[in-house]
Amino acid sequence: MVFTLPREGTTKWLEKLLEAGEVIAPVRGPCGDVIFSALRSPSQVLWDFENPLHPPKQFVLPQTDPLVKIKLNGQRHEVEAIYDDAPRTLFNVRSCDVTGIAFLTRMHEAEPADASYLRRVHNLTIISLACTTPCPAGFCVCTDSGPFLGTGYDLQLTDLGGTFLVEVGSKKGEAAMAKAPDLFRRVSDDAVTQRKALEAAARTRFGPETCHFGSAMRRISTGRVPDALWEKMAGWCLECGGCNFVCPTCYCFSVKDLRQNGTWVRCRMWDSCQYAAFTLEASGHNPRAQHKERMKRRFFHKVSAQYYSRDAAVGCVGCGRCIKTCLGSTHMPAVVAAIRKGKWHE
Amino acid sequence: MNDVFLPDIACLEKVRDETPDTKTFTLRFRDHPNGNHFHFLPGQFLELSVFGCGEAPFCIASSPTRPGVLETTVRRTGQLTDQLHKLGNGDEVGIRGPFGNGFDVQAARGKDMLFVAGGIGLPPLRSLIWNILDERDCFGKVTILYGARTPHDLVYKDELEVWGKRSDVELLVTVDVAEPNWTGNVGVVPILFSKVSLHPESTLAYVCGPPIMIRFVVRDLLKRGFKEETVISTLERMMQCGIGKCNHCAIGHRYICRDGPVFNYREIAELVE
Repeated sequence: MVFTLPREGTTKWLEKLLEAGEVIAPVRGPCGDVIFSALRSPSQVLWDFENPLHPPKQFVLPQTDPLVKIKLNGQRHEVEAIYDDAPRTLFNVRSCDVTGIAFLTRMHEAEPADASYLRRVHNLTIISLACTTPCPAGFCVCTDSGPFLGTGYDLQLTDLGGTFLVEVGSKKGEAAMAKAPDLFRRVSDDAVTQRKALEAAARTRFGPETCHFGSAMRRISTGRVPDALWEKMAGWCLECGGCNFVCPTCYCFSVKDLRQNGTWVRCRMWDSCQYAAFTLEASGHNPRAQHKERMKRRFFHKVSAQYYSRDAAVGCVGCGRCIKTCLGSTHMPAVVAAIRKGKWHE
Repeated sequence: MNDVFLPDIACLEKVRDETPDTKTFTLRFRDHPNGNHFHFLPGQFLELSVFGCGEAPFCIASSPTRPGVLETTVRRTGQLTDQLHKLGNGDEVGIRGPFGNGFDVQAARGKDMLFVAGGIGLPPLRSLIWNILDERDCFGKVTILYGARTPHDLVYKDELEVWGKRSDVELLVTVDVAEPNWTGNVGVVPILFSKVSLHPESTLAYVCGPPIMIRFVVRDLLKRGFKEETVISTLERMMQCGIGKCNHCAIGHRYICRDGPVFNYREIAELVE
């Protein structure tokens, strides 16, 4: 089903959405940068923006995610699962980030399913804004995750100028429209034609970044990337973990007990496969003590055929955030290119 | 949907010193005292919580043929195990699990069983050994070869004595470095192979211990005619979630916590980092 929404109707719609729960959208942060944040008022929402450095991952998988409350009554421990069932709407998120959340959801749905994550996503409505202009570092055409989406959203908006085209992807999307039903109109053929033209035009306007996964996947999956190349690339990586933390599909975590308000709270916390301590065992043995092994691990998880056949996708949505955050230039397109060419770019 | 991160509470029922740095903890579920909700196989592991300190993976050292309590044998070697060693009778811990594939006890029926353990590698095999001894008629010859650094580092000393006295078990023990009162074998575990008669065609070999010992023992067994599929070991990594999600224990696209920790040597050779 496809509808149109007049631009001036968005304020009223957002007011209705805000009455129903938290609305997370791209807004201008206090220092001028664009961030995803809970809205206070509809006027904060950005409609023309470069995608924030941090994806909206934190709203489905918080950096510190409380899982279990541990209370001590005298000598007796009581444990209680913590769930976040708050209704939320992700508004004006980009196609790559919608694909990233779908990736995370598939992973958490795999048996045994992770209730903590899934309950949060169950109450999440995703309203995406298709990219009529690809972002400068994006390469989502290489990962089939943009600039427009065919699936994964609850509603997909396309900016047609004076109006938005609204594509309905789910019952949750219908429910979001039902908050202000009189704003939405049955679509005209013109609007659909215009949307198709915008998508076709967007596909021709990508920047120089590209990522040919095919041959890199073949080499990574069969262990045919020379050790010396991993070592070379590891020499450029600063082991900061930035690529993991800004990646919409990275989800590796550690479990820790934190002290909060007089009780212990067991939390899932983002971790990075690039840190030496990630695989360190109490005995002191570390199966991935060498940095090149950790690098190899990261790209095996993201690009190997073994994981591709499990996840039905590479672990990359082409958002280009690793390009922006990596000080050592060992980001996805650079590493894939090096593996394909058999040599590092220097 | 059950919460995969929610531990059961268990009470320490008994704490036994094995070596100066190793203890065996006997655990009983506080809210399910007969433990009959917890079905496990030898070789599976659990995530044990010391509340406020976190969770760590430990193998189950007791046998499913002796239900009611769980036992785990732990060396004091890090923050969590240090705290665990300070706990005593009645203290509470958390348990999640059981995790992993475990040993295929059914498939081993009718076979001769060879156990080769080094140091703290005996606990996971102990679960299987007692399982087999409790169903003794279903299995062939049982041979246990066990080595430790010094006599002090041998775990389950009283059980070694029990196994040694049984006519239906062949037990040989060795230490790398002897002490004045030691009258037994001296040398690394592989020296024991020449003291027993091995029948590779009818035997499953279970090997557990430090990586270097495993390497030499497996090499020796293969040389003596064991096929890779009949040499079985249990691997360790920093398993944190136990359910194949956190990625700490991944080797290639396999997860030690879910696809393992028990693998035969052919499978181990196929694991690609």
